[in-house]
Amino acid sequence: MSPIAGIGLRAPHLAEIARERPATAFLEIHAENYLSPTQAAETIERLRADYVFSMHAVGLSLGSAAGIDDAHLDRVAGLVKRLQPAYVSDHLSWSVAGGRYFNDLLPLPYTEEALDVVVRNVQRLQDRLGRQVSIENPSCYLGFTHSTMSEPEFLSEVARRSGCGLLLDVNNIHVTAHNLRLDARDWLTLSPDAVTQYHLAGHAANDADGEPILIDDHGSRVGDAVWTLFEEVVRRFGARPTLIEWDTDIPALSVLLDEAQRADRALSAAGDHAARAA
Amino acid sequence: MPLALPDLQAALADHVAGHDRAELLASVVGDSIPAAARLRVHRNHVLHSLGTALAATFPTVQALVGDEFFRGMARTFAAHDLPTQPVLSEYGAGFSRFVGGYTPARGLPYLADIARLDWALNVAFHSPTEPRLASADLASIQVEQLPTKLVSLAPGAAVLRSIYPIERIWATAQSPASHETVDLNSGAARLLVLRRANDAGFVCLSEGEASFLEALAAGRTLEDAAGLALAADAVFELSPAFARLLHLRAFAAVQ
Repeated sequence: MSPIAGIGLRAPHLAEIARERPATAFLEIHAENYLSPTQAAETIERLRADYVFSMHAVGLSLGSAAGIDDAHLDRVAGLVKRLQPAYVSDHLSWSVAGGRYFNDLLPLPYTEEALDVVVRNVQRLQDRLGRQVSIENPSCYLGFTHSTMSEPEFLSEVARRSGCGLLLDVNNIHVTAHNLRLDARDWLTLSPDAVTQYHLAGHAANDADGEPILIDDHGSRVGDAVWTLFEEVVRRFGARPTLIEWDTDIPALSVLLDEAQRADRALSAAGDHAARAA
Repeated sequence: MPLALPDLQAALADHVAGHDRAELLASVVGDSIPAAARLRVHRNHVLHSLGTALAATFPTVQALVGDEFFRGMARTFAAHDLPTQPVLSEYGAGFSRFVGGYTPARGLPYLADIARLDWALNVAFHSPTEPRLASADLASIQVEQLPTKLVSLAPGAAVLRSIYPIERIWATAQSPASHETVDLNSGAARLLVLRRANDAGFVCLSEGEASFLEALAAGRTLEDAAGLALAADAVFELSPAFARLLHLRAFAAVQ
């Protein structure tokens, strides 16, 4: 099986990747880091010849009741046009309100009202880009008392109504399930047809008034519990392009590539399991 | 009655900026981790991550004051002046003014000007390398037409002045181990900040060159700009100054 796991392309590795051209199934970039004409932006446009790209946005704020910001959408659409990424994604969350941007993936109540907002914004994004996008489950630290749906139910409806794909961040499932006292297996009830990609990352445990709360800090290797959940996820939904994310305390490139190889082994093993079961 | 989504988002936005909102607290599920502690995760993340973004944009300020002091200053700034859009390299336009009025930093009177230099370098770094005026572009212009021409500065180029020798303060911050001291009264700085091929940097200008570029940037003709430069600096000579700035790729176009 050829590799299907990729790595996040981060600034400290850019020169090494441009020079060494390591083998990886794809390179993921954060859209918001490549919107101005820096040397880094020129470098990734050159890397297009050799790599498949995944463009992951963090600032479209698909959950904003006020809608997506036109100016930002135009800039992201311009990058999609220049880079022609194989995959485009953002999150089930919001980060803009009242003209202020919070640089956080803030949580939504899972209500019919929020569902209408997200579906409208995702449809607008897909119409503007002329393609399907994938929406990622967030890492949650709180839930709202007036939510009427579970997160998997909400995600399923967003996918069904908008036609978007679902990017399952397995670390986020683990973090959310722990923090909100949920069962990670609830996410396995999603329809395999909607699931388009996986993300894997490390998390940290912080203290919240004496109780551990898991923080999705992308600052370490993928945890053992997340690898175990990943194996279950792959058995349920099948192999999908899988990203190793690492954004704080960024290690040597070889560590990222090593994690991606481990993801490939897990994808391959689960694929064999599925083949035997068939 | 649960908060409608626009109200909930406005309340959570206020909360992360530091203002507790009772109706928000009532909307968040609390258990062995109380709702307030859960909300605090977001408040901390917003202010911490914006501090990290500001540290990337203002590395010289950070080097001069140390990480802990910078974090406190950035957090106070961020709580009052959140980004208005998601591109964090474009966040911090108001930081130098804030630094200038930040009481705990008043012992470092040059700090706001260093922040202006960091910001100008950041703007230049994110600006395109084209268009740039080359000497060949001037060949087609009739000499008698030159005085009335307008010359635009390269994208991201900026003239920066300070009463402090900020170019030397900047240099000491690049090598903290050197322990070199700078006499704050050793001369004013006039800098041209530019996007270069692979990064951004600055050069020192004469008073005449700085006045000349400021006049061109303000839309004055070559003749007017040269006159203003000479008025500001009696030893200003247009021809070598223009040649130097052309060589530095300081101009975008002539029209």
